[in-house]
Amino acid sequence: MKDQFLGYRRENGAVGIRNHVLIIPAQRQLNMVAQKISDMVPDTKAFISLGELGRPREDRLVLQRTIVGLGMNPNTASVLIIGSTPGAGYDELKVEKISGEIAKSGKRVEVLLLTEEGGMYSLLGKGIKVARDMVLEASRAVREPFGLEYLTLGVKCGMSDSTSGICGNPTVGRVFDRLIQAGGRAVFSETTEVIGAEHVLIRRAKDETVAQKILNAVEETEQKAKSVGEDIRETNPIPENIAGGLTTLEEKSLGAIVKAGSSTIEDVIAYAQRIEKPGLYFMDAWMSSLSLPTGYAASGVNLFMYQMGGAGVPGREFPLPAVSSGIVTPIMYLTGNYQTYERAEDNIDFNSGTILQDLETPQETADRLMTMILRIASGAKTKAETFNHQDPVELYFQGPSL
Amino acid sequence: MYSQKELVIMSEADNIGIVKVPVTKGQKITIGDGRPDNVIEAREEIPFGFKIAIQDIKGGETVYKYGEPIGIASLDIQKGEMVHVHNMEGLRARGDLNASE
Repeated sequence: MKDQFLGYRRENGAVGIRNHVLIIPAQRQLNMVAQKISDMVPDTKAFISLGELGRPREDRLVLQRTIVGLGMNPNTASVLIIGSTPGAGYDELKVEKISGEIAKSGKRVEVLLLTEEGGMYSLLGKGIKVARDMVLEASRAVREPFGLEYLTLGVKCGMSDSTSGICGNPTVGRVFDRLIQAGGRAVFSETTEVIGAEHVLIRRAKDETVAQKILNAVEETEQKAKSVGEDIRETNPIPENIAGGLTTLEEKSLGAIVKAGSSTIEDVIAYAQRIEKPGLYFMDAWMSSLSLPTGYAASGVNLFMYQMGGAGVPGREFPLPAVSSGIVTPIMYLTGNYQTYERAEDNIDFNSGTILQDLETPQETADRLMTMILRIASGAKTKAETFNHQDPVELYFQGPSL
Repeated sequence: MYSQKELVIMSEADNIGIVKVPVTKGQKITIGDGRPDNVIEAREEIPFGFKIAIQDIKGGETVYKYGEPIGIASLDIQKGEMVHVHNMEGLRARGDLNASE
């Protein structure tokens, strides 16, 4: 039977798996107002960033791509933008600019300005009123069945241990292959964790140009590590990796890249860059789980998969590395380590450690994962979604801070 | 991937395997799959998921996993010993080695 999920069709034909109203402060001083509106109105998400001030143009463009991308993401039903006054702020982030870009998706975009509402108090009240109306309207949407060609998945591996390259990442890789074959879209990233595995990865690049882009991205990251005189072993593998049996960055990288499966890599995209066509993409970005989910969400990812090792993470019922950092894109936690799953079943959605226990074949495990993904895409919550918490996010800026 | 009772070997070209269960010193481990020596003896305790040398690896020789180099042995490693940060090292993105490049 064809893989299907129940999603929300948006005005531009894209399909969402969630139905959030997104509240965006156009300037940093409006973070509090945006957050307070969101606190008052369920089913809304506020995008609170560390702001635009004193950042060079390239980084302001990262912020612009992120804001516009989160608004465009099909998990977002409609967007409320809170600004200060007409034409205020840096060119790239003017309220007219970002609202105009998001409105191209055809979805409802409302703009409220501090000066027009007569100050902070009335802006807050008006924001709550408009947000409630938008939530009511969004809630009338009905889910419809769609095939995998309407789904975009993103993956990151974290707290990796030796099971990651054996069970966890290969299981995600099989699911990615099935998604791509069905005409869907997928993205992987973490350039530092390609170092030592780039020769394997470029065999799958669509052409010479894409292969060269991958090599350039890796070279640039490796040079950054060297330029600060860093022995990368003291930064990556992280102590949790080493405690989990991974010894070198090369070993970690070779185990990490299998999470992307075996499909052709169509292109290398920048942080928060929109995925325009079906296929598998590599995002040249930072591995942090408080950064990458946001960049993926801005690129159009519906569901973010955090594939964990976890052997090096101490304790039982340990907290999640990141909660809600995808803003409108839910985070699903997976592990390839059955001991990790047993220790933190409350927080982890999927266990592929069954492969090393000889309880399931890799194919059976991947089939089970696909079933779970379709269920989550149809509205079942991930375990991380049952927290009312929004971690601060750190966009992937290059600096310098000026 | 070659999975045996106590061990996984990711590729034929590998000189290490990964233990699927905690291994005790002196434990006999089957490696199978047509390799000349079918059984190795663990020379020390090895935790779940850690690497064990399935051949002797001399200091400076390449360590292979997934059929690819993952670094070099920093000491002579005997078959049956655990392989980790105490006896091998990576070679990539090593800013501390800049002087010698």
